[in-house]
Amino acid sequence: MNRKWKSIGFAAFAAALSLSASFAEAAGVLTIGRREDSTTFDPIKSAQNVDNWVFSNVFDVLIRVDKSGTKLEPGLAESWTVSDDGLTYTFKIRDAKFSDGSPITAEDAAFSLLRIRDNEGSLWSDSYKIVETAEATDPKTLTVKLKTPSAPFLSTLALPNVSVLSKKAVEAGEDAFAELPTASSGAFTVKEWRRGDRVILEKNPNFWQADRVKLDGVEWISVPDDNTRMLNVQAGQLDTAIFVPFSRVEELKKDANLSVLIDTSTREDHLLINHEHGALAKKEVRQAVDMAIDKKAIVDTVTFGLGTVANSYIPKGSLYHYDANYQYPYDPAKAKAMLAEAGASDLSLNYVVNAGNEVDEQIAVLLQQQLSKAGITVNLQKVDPSQSWDMLIAGDYDISVMYWTNDILDPDQKTTFVLGHDTNMNYMTRYKSDKVKDLVAAARLELDPKKREAMYAEIQKTAKDDVHWVDLYYSPYINVARKNVENFYQNPLGRFFLEDTVKN
Amino acid sequence: MSAGAMSLPSAGWKTFLGRRTMLVVGVSILLLFLIMAIAAPLIAPYDPILQDGASRLQPPSLLHPFGTDNFGRDILSRIVWGARIDLQIAFLGVAFPFVIGTVVGTIAGFFGGIVDAVFMRIVDIILAFPFLVLMLSIITILGPGLSSFYIAMALVGWVSYARLIRAQILVLKTSDYAVAAVSLGFGRMRIMFRHLLPNAIAGSIVFSMSDAVLVLLSGAAVSYLGLGVQPPVAEWGVMVAEGQSFITTAWWITLFPGLSIVFLAFGFSILGDALGELLGVHE
Repeated sequence: MNRKWKSIGFAAFAAALSLSASFAEAAGVLTIGRREDSTTFDPIKSAQNVDNWVFSNVFDVLIRVDKSGTKLEPGLAESWTVSDDGLTYTFKIRDAKFSDGSPITAEDAAFSLLRIRDNEGSLWSDSYKIVETAEATDPKTLTVKLKTPSAPFLSTLALPNVSVLSKKAVEAGEDAFAELPTASSGAFTVKEWRRGDRVILEKNPNFWQADRVKLDGVEWISVPDDNTRMLNVQAGQLDTAIFVPFSRVEELKKDANLSVLIDTSTREDHLLINHEHGALAKKEVRQAVDMAIDKKAIVDTVTFGLGTVANSYIPKGSLYHYDANYQYPYDPAKAKAMLAEAGASDLSLNYVVNAGNEVDEQIAVLLQQQLSKAGITVNLQKVDPSQSWDMLIAGDYDISVMYWTNDILDPDQKTTFVLGHDTNMNYMTRYKSDKVKDLVAAARLELDPKKREAMYAEIQKTAKDDVHWVDLYYSPYINVARKNVENFYQNPLGRFFLEDTVKN
Repeated sequence: MSAGAMSLPSAGWKTFLGRRTMLVVGVSILLLFLIMAIAAPLIAPYDPILQDGASRLQPPSLLHPFGTDNFGRDILSRIVWGARIDLQIAFLGVAFPFVIGTVVGTIAGFFGGIVDAVFMRIVDIILAFPFLVLMLSIITILGPGLSSFYIAMALVGWVSYARLIRAQILVLKTSDYAVAAVSLGFGRMRIMFRHLLPNAIAGSIVFSMSDAVLVLLSGAAVSYLGLGVQPPVAEWGVMVAEGQSFITTAWWITLFPGLSIVFLAFGFSILGDALGELLGVHE
């Protein structure tokens, strides 16, 4: 027994030695811990942040959003011009290569734009239906004709899902490309994808800004449990971790080896209201619900003070956010009186909660108590997230908390989804207002930024007055990195600038 | 190193404690929780669902002996009130399967033949599924909530009792007094439930004690997954689940309800062992 223990001890020592050796070799490779693993590498076939955040570092786009998340800057398109009628866009493509060494041409750019519009598997085709034609007038010039003028068109080109892909590589086999792209236009190439575990990226030497990239590679590692992921960073097994729970920030800040990074995001959490259900159809009742909710208490309890109270569906800091928008005061007594006046003093609401979502469950418990002070009975219904989405779409709910993060810089996308009377019943709320509907459509066509801003202010005011939903709070992206990692940054649209990240 | 070296000599602690002591300890633990549940309004220092934003995440202190959770609710009060729910889970979660299983097992064992074959195949089918998976699917279909849990428990849990009783009845029905009862012309119902069952049931009673442990833990597991008790009602499994995200910063939210589950389960388990010895049942 004694000898056995000795040999075990020796083996453990040897293992520890070889382990530290393998860590030393991995210098220059940044490991990032996140909840879920990627689902695909075909950009048009995903609408999830987990995928988009990896796409932005593997594929490049024609036009990028800058670090502040408020301006567009040239990407693979060196420059562009717009015709006076706002219908024809001409892009000059930069001298750049795919990772396989072949040149990036206007042909590839046109192919990628038409593919996201026409491909059956595309989740984004609606956003690009406005494109009439896209063709390569010469190898370096892309000409796009639109059906109608569109103010948000340029910003939709910055979406990671419309990244420029190699026509040759995609046509060689779409499914194989989705598993392991053979040519990439971004800072990194996909070396290996261990499904359910990690995505291994390697520096792309042919990237047009290759001299900007300091890292040899990046590994996106899936560690679903929040506590484990934080422990991994604290123990140095991961360089960085994203999705830091609000409750852990204070404690992680005290760790001298770590820096907690709080970056502005476009995330807004809100309470959806089903306008078709009974008394909720009345504006006064919805206003009473808004007044019965203490948003400050949610910010304090759920986000530990890291969030800010929301006053508009367009998040603070985003384009056309109307900062002077009205905010319903927290006043349960007045809410109760308003409900009585509207004949809804015995209001009872079904609240669909995502089971297993820490933040969702906490908000639910808080709201239940707050609303009860205004005499509203809330029945919590915890359901699996896959099921809750279907219930919202079917209208099988009274209230439910959801969140939204912007994909593009322009407010048009979210506005269309939320207020534009699009295909999804105004984001499941079944809100109806012809005034808002017309304004949304008009704002899309208006090319003068000043006039557009005024229109969006009007939209935000009207939606607030109608209580299309209850704005709860804005919250930042919270990531944690070890002290030897620099420039680990995420812009408000979620893009990680890994081309600038340094690991010392 | 062999596995045997690691584990304790089996049943060592039983001989150490002694049969009587075990019985006393087991009954005392259950009584303790029962009193706590019944007198909850008198014992609990605070309202179990009252939120207090000013005293969130307080560590154990004189004011809050078990600390407070992230909504400022008093953990001790929640545990005291939670005893009501958890004892109810343990009792009802065992009672339904016990009754159903006993009736089915008696009938199957007594009649034999086609009746026995049909019932036992149903038992086989249910046993073919993993217990928790079957439970969760039934609850998912019925919708979350405690009543769904009891229904699922009744649908799934009876099979063990049925098997136990059936095996006993099979042996007993050939015994002299059973044959004598038949020859005296007693009715089948009388023979089954007056003569055979009282002699066959001891094993099930002992088993029900250890089953209570399993039920208690599945109840906690189901609530943990969001399918059982719905917030803001205090239940120990839910409390453990809610405290999970604070485990490194506020350990008291999870520790105390977790200990309560362990303690109550221990009470049932030790009582089961003592009853087994007392009734002469060997598992």
